[in-house]
Order: sequence, then structure tokens, then C-alpha cells
Amino acid sequence: MPPPDLVHGLPAADAAAVLALGVPRELSPGEVLFRLGDRADAVYLIRSGRISLALPMRLAGRDQDVVVEEYEPGHTLGWSALIPPHRFTLTATAPLATSLLEFDRERLRAFCAAHPAIGYPLALNIAAVVGGRLQVFQAMWLREMQRTVDNAHA
Amino acid sequence: MQLFLMVLALSLVGVLVSGVLFAAASREAQPAERAALVSPAIAAGEERFFMMRPPVSGAPVSADVLALQIERHVRLEQAAAERFHQFPSVEALRTPTLSPLAG
Repeated sequence: MPPPDLVHGLPAADAAAVLALGVPRELSPGEVLFRLGDRADAVYLIRSGRISLALPMRLAGRDQDVVVEEYEPGHTLGWSALIPPHRFTLTATAPLATSLLEFDRERLRAFCAAHPAIGYPLALNIAAVVGGRLQVFQAMWLREMQRTVDNAHA
Repeated sequence: MQLFLMVLALSLVGVLVSGVLFAAASREAQPAERAALVSPAIAAGEERFFMMRPPVSGAPVSADVLALQIERHVRLEQAAAERFHQFPSVEALRTPTLSPLAG
């Protein structure tokens, strides 16, 4: 597995302590990790395989899940678990056999409270994950808006 | 005997006249029949399979095909947006992709 974004910059011992909080979870091809609207109580780190995140779109008169993001080993997903109202906003599926580490929100929070020297950089790493996704989606939204405006005035 | 020969002669004449008329009618009908049998799609050079495949042009795209097109579009757009995220600039924000949905 490539260096996980969750423990980026942490000393090896601290990174190992954080990763030890994760519970291994295996997904078979096609298995759904969570669905849009589900309660979000855990953050996930991909160890191997891949996770596809999809949103439902109305296509040709029927609802269809359309993949909007794909993540590979080393990436953290499911940060809805850390942000109220703690509900997933996408559906996550493993397109192939996938191995994850599952971090329970309350366990992670208790660990950070007990070890603030690790909790602070960990929180920054999570903020970097969330902020990066936000900036990428802002740029995608602006590109689509620009095309909408261009087409409207073409 | 004379009566028999007369009936035979008339029959031969009838057969000959019918044959001539049929040949003339066939020559006139063939091009029109051929045109009627060929569908506009085939005349336009469209590939069809036992006339069951819907014509390509103007055919509604299935939800699965549309979903694949959108997913490809999202991948290309996400890659462009990630380049902008790494090296923000107005040019990077407006870099076109090869997505046919971005037209």
C-alpha cells in the first residue's frame, strides 16, 4: 500500500498507532460499502483494490448510479462520518476485491483526545483530504458552469 | 379437325400475347419494386442486421451507454480539475478535455 494520506507526515510509530485503530474489512467484487443516506459512523482507508463512489442520476427515464470518483490504495474515504449530520452523500462500491481499514468515529475521536500530539496532525490530514476534494469539485463545477454559459450565449 | 386447328391457333396466339404483355409489365415493374423493397436506411448506406437493429442516427441512447459517457466525462474533468488544484491558474481552469460531453 502506498503511504496512506491519513497518516501523512506522522512519525512511523505514531502512524502505526493510528493504523492499529483500524479494523480490517474485506469486500468482494460488487459489494457495497455504504449507500447514499446511510448513517456514517466510520472512516475507511483503502489497503488494496479500489472503491467507486457513485451518485444517482435520472438517465433515459430511470435512476442509474453514475461513478463520480474512484479511489485506490492509500486513500481515505467516508469523511462524512466526521462531519454532522453523519450521513453518507454517495454510494461506495468495490468494483474488485478490496481490503480496507475501518476506523470507528468514536474510537478515532477518543484516541485523538487522548493523544493530541498525534490528533492534531491527523486532523490536518483529514482537513487536507476534505479540502482537496472540495477544491477539485469547485473547479469541476466552475468548468461546467462556464460551458453552460458559453452554450447559452453561443 | 378445322375447328380443332382454329382453337389451337387461337390458344397459341393467346399464349404469345400473354407472354409479350407479361414481359413488358415485368420490365416496367422491376425498378419500382426494387426501390420499394430497399428501406431508406439501406439506401442511405446504414448497416442493418436483418432489419432489426435500430438506425444509428437519431436513436435514443440507452441509460447504460449514457452512464458510461458521463463517467468518462467525469474522469476527464476530474483530472483537469486536479491539475488546476495542483497548479492553480486561469489557463488550467479552462483547459479543454477530450470529452464529447464537454462541447
